[in-house]
This record gives sequence, C-alpha cells and structure tokens, in this order.
Amino acid sequence: MVTREDVENIALLSKLFIDENDLDKLTEDMQNIINFADTINKASDESEEFDNINNLENVFRNDVVKESLPVSEILSNAPEQADDHFLVRKRG
Amino acid sequence: MKYEMVAGFETHVELSTNTKIFCSCTTAFGAEPNTHCCPVCIGLPGTLPKLNEKVVEYAIMAGLATNCEIAEIAKMDRKNYCYPDLPKAYQISQYDKPLCEHGYIELSNGRKIRITRIHIEEDAGKLIHNHGDTYVDYNRGGVPLIEIVSEPDIRSPEEAREYVEKLQQIMRYIGVSDCRMQEGSMRCDVNISVREAGSEKLGTRTEIKNMNSITFITKAMQYEFERQVDLIEAGEKVVQETLRYDDATNTTSPMRGKEDAHDYRYFREPDLVTIKVEREQVEKIKACLPELPNKKLDRYINEYEISEKDSALLVKYRNIAEYFDKAAQGLKTPKSAANFILTQIFRRLETEADKEAFDIKTLPEQLNKMCKLIESGKLKNSLAKSALEKMLDSGENIEKFVSEEDMAGLDDAALTKLCQDAINNSANAVADYKSGKEKALMSILGFVMKNSKGRADANAVKEKLKELIG
Repeated sequence: MVTREDVENIALLSKLFIDENDLDKLTEDMQNIINFADTINKASDESEEFDNINNLENVFRNDVVKESLPVSEILSNAPEQADDHFLVRKRG
Repeated sequence: MKYEMVAGFETHVELSTNTKIFCSCTTAFGAEPNTHCCPVCIGLPGTLPKLNEKVVEYAIMAGLATNCEIAEIAKMDRKNYCYPDLPKAYQISQYDKPLCEHGYIELSNGRKIRITRIHIEEDAGKLIHNHGDTYVDYNRGGVPLIEIVSEPDIRSPEEAREYVEKLQQIMRYIGVSDCRMQEGSMRCDVNISVREAGSEKLGTRTEIKNMNSITFITKAMQYEFERQVDLIEAGEKVVQETLRYDDATNTTSPMRGKEDAHDYRYFREPDLVTIKVEREQVEKIKACLPELPNKKLDRYINEYEISEKDSALLVKYRNIAEYFDKAAQGLKTPKSAANFILTQIFRRLETEADKEAFDIKTLPEQLNKMCKLIESGKLKNSLAKSALEKMLDSGENIEKFVSEEDMAGLDDAALTKLCQDAINNSANAVADYKSGKEKALMSILGFVMKNSKGRADANAVKEKLKELIG
C-alpha cells in the first residue's frame, strides 16, 4: 500500500515540491503505477539468465589514458561556473 | 562499571590505476580543476560507462591479500543520492554482489579483525565551500576505489591503529594503492559503540566519517568512547548519528546528512554487464602476489633469527624488504646485512617518506657481496663499515674502495713491521705498559690499526705487541 507519507518521502528525495492538495491524487496515481508494475512479478525470475538479459559478461576496457576534454567544453553546459569550477549557489 | 569499545571500519582506498574506473581520463593527482574530465565522468546523458579491467584485477589482489573469498559472479549497482559531488546523482558501486567477502587481518596480539567485504566503486568529486556557495571539481570523480568493510571486531584505538597500518602496508606491498592518507587516497569511516565489558550485545553506534590521519582516528575514537560512556553513565541514550571529527578541538559533532532521509534506493546498474571471475584468473593473480608482510616478518624472525623489532623495521616498507631480501641472498648470517641496513643506511634516511622510497645509491647486490667477503673472513668489519660509507656516497662498487691487497689481510711479516713501527714511535706508552699500565697497550694498538687501514685484526695485533715488547 502506498501511503501519503511514502509520496511525501519520495518527493523529498526527488527534490520536488508537492502541494498538500495534490497529495491524495498523487498517492492514488502512485498506487496505480505500482499495481501496474506488479504485473512483472507474475513472471518467473528463477532463471539465472534473467539477471543478465543481454547474455553479456566481462566487457572491459584497457587501462590506457586518453585525452580528457578541455575545461571550457566540460563546463559548457554548466548553468553557472567560476574559476574553472562548476558553481552551485547557496539555496534559500 | 567497566565498558568496552566496539568498532568497525569502512576504509576507502583509491586504486593506483592509470585511468578512471569507467572512462579513460587519467587519475593523476593535483591537476588544474576539471581538466581530467570527459562526458562519462561528468555524467552527461547518453554516455556509457565501461569498466576498467585493472580495477577488477586490483580488487581481487586486495581480496586475496586480506584472506577473502573471491566472488564468481559480481555486478555493479547504483547508489542514489543527490549531492553536488556526484554529477549523475548516483554513485556506481556494488551492493549485494561484491567482488570479495569473508576475509581477515591478523593483529600482532593474535586477534583477527574480520573483513566483511571489499567492493569496487567510483570516487566522488571534490567540493570547495565558499560563503555558502559550492565550487565543484570533478577530477577525482570516477577515480576507482575499493571500500574495505570490517566487522565490529576492533576493541581499542591501538588495535585500530594497527589495523589501518596493516591495511596500508598490505595495499602498498601488492601495489594497488599508495594509501597516502594526507592526499586522500586512503580514508576511514569508523562505526563505534560501547557496551559493558564481557557483554555480547552491541550498543547503539555512531559513525565518524571521513578521517584521513591515523592519529585523528585514534583520538576521535577515544573521545567518542568517553562521550558515549558519559551518556550511558548519566542515564541518557546514545543517538545513532553520523559525526565529524574536529582535530582542532578534539571533539566529534553531528554532521548534516547528505540526504535528509537516508535511502540509497540501490538497484542494478543497467549500463554495465555482469562480472564473471574465472577461477583460473584468481589462481593466476594469486601466483603473482608478492610475499606479504606477515609472511616476511615470520621468515625474518624464525629463519634469519633477526629480532622482532628489527624485522618489523625491515618489513615496514616493501622497498626496504626487497632490498634486504636481495642483500641477504645466500648469506650464512642474513642478520649482518640487516645490521648494515638498519644502522648505516637508515642513518641516511631521515623521514618516513625517505625510508619508504629507500632511494639508495648502493645496489643490494653490492651489499650482498660485501657481506659475503666478511663471512669468508676476507674483509674486516671495520674496513667494511668505512667502505660502505663511501659506497653509499658514490654508488661505486666495493672494489673501488677495497683493494685485493686489503682483502688479503696482513701476513705475519707485514704485521710485525707495523707493530714494530708503532712501538718505535710510542716510547712513553711502551714505558707505561712496562711499568704495569695495561691500558697503555691500547694506544699502541690504536696506532697499528690506523696504519693498517683497518686491515689488521685487533686480537692478532694485541698478541704481536705483547710478544714484541716482551
């Protein structure tokens, strides 16, 4: 059972602000999503293969250095930057 | 009432691979900010991590060296938390299928500190806080770590010190990390609780986070132990919380959590495939491991008959132990090589860093040769000492400072001549000796030894002098 508290907690973890008035509706929606996802539980997961659907294992990379990107490119998507650092402003 | 400390460790060790765990950026320390970054390690959408083979190898080495079982199947998981040091808002780590489990480290008091698990994960970026703003440098983000988790088997700050030092020593021996605590390549979290001595029940624990000095660890543990005992004695409860240690005030204080609600919501990392460790691979890695410090210590004490204290000094750093092993090869008394190292060579190494580097001009093979000459009676100890000083200064071979003639020793005629010369030049001493002052002979003896350039044997000289003076 999804409770109002669950939704509040998930909102907190997701850094989402939720209006008190929307809580009941969201709880109901969340319950429906969980119910839907529960369908998956009906499938058998005993097979080892289930854990490894691509049937791939041990895909590795050699420990050889390649050039990194210039700092200007690394920072090019940053909402804010200062002194070649990503800048995270104090909130509130 | 008597209380007992119960502590367990989570130790993060940065692996000394060339590249990061999931991308080909360098792991070099100390570069300009955000210059060792690429789309993978700054978590841009659409990028795919690819596991560095060396990381798996190093973690298996660490596991074998700490008596762990190596998993046949391991996988990576996402540990979710939202904080600026993680660009993806999750850390790729291992949750329920770590690479290594069920090991232990044995302390000198015979107690075994059990290792619960060793898993691989990526390091986070570095945050610099400035007036409430945060500057983020992702150079360290994605550097490979192993996290070594112990059971709560540690009972005192002294045991904690030895446990951390042993881990450090082992990781350096096998070459997977330099474990420099001051550079952050080894960091410890300590879980600590107290209970009545003799009780089996665990008390409520607190966690002291992210300590990067062994001295701080032991001080913080002592402080936290006393704080918890005081609470219990006052009838209050220990609150389970995460603490920070402040070395300036030598106190611990609560830390604001990375997440208000601690819930990492681990799930499998879908972008990385299963790690399957073949047993042949484990055997191959095992065969390549160097002799570990504990084994070496046993060998030096029991086979070489070197004192426990001296043996510990020799095994402390791998460079010293390897040098000594080469220098001691084939010697009847390996202890003589040990003595030269611990006295004359150590005198030249002022700091621990010097000892660890053990950058010595004289090759161990040269010291070995010198010790063999002493053993065969060709080279006098006194001569060897001065020759070694010159060898250490110049890096030249022993032949440069000790001639064949020196090594041949003195025949009777040469000895007689040296003694007679000394007697002729020491009329006063001879007179003193004749009047019964035994000690006077020593000054004549010193004269002979000096003129023989250390080639003469002191006892032989003494006998010869007595014979000549009559």
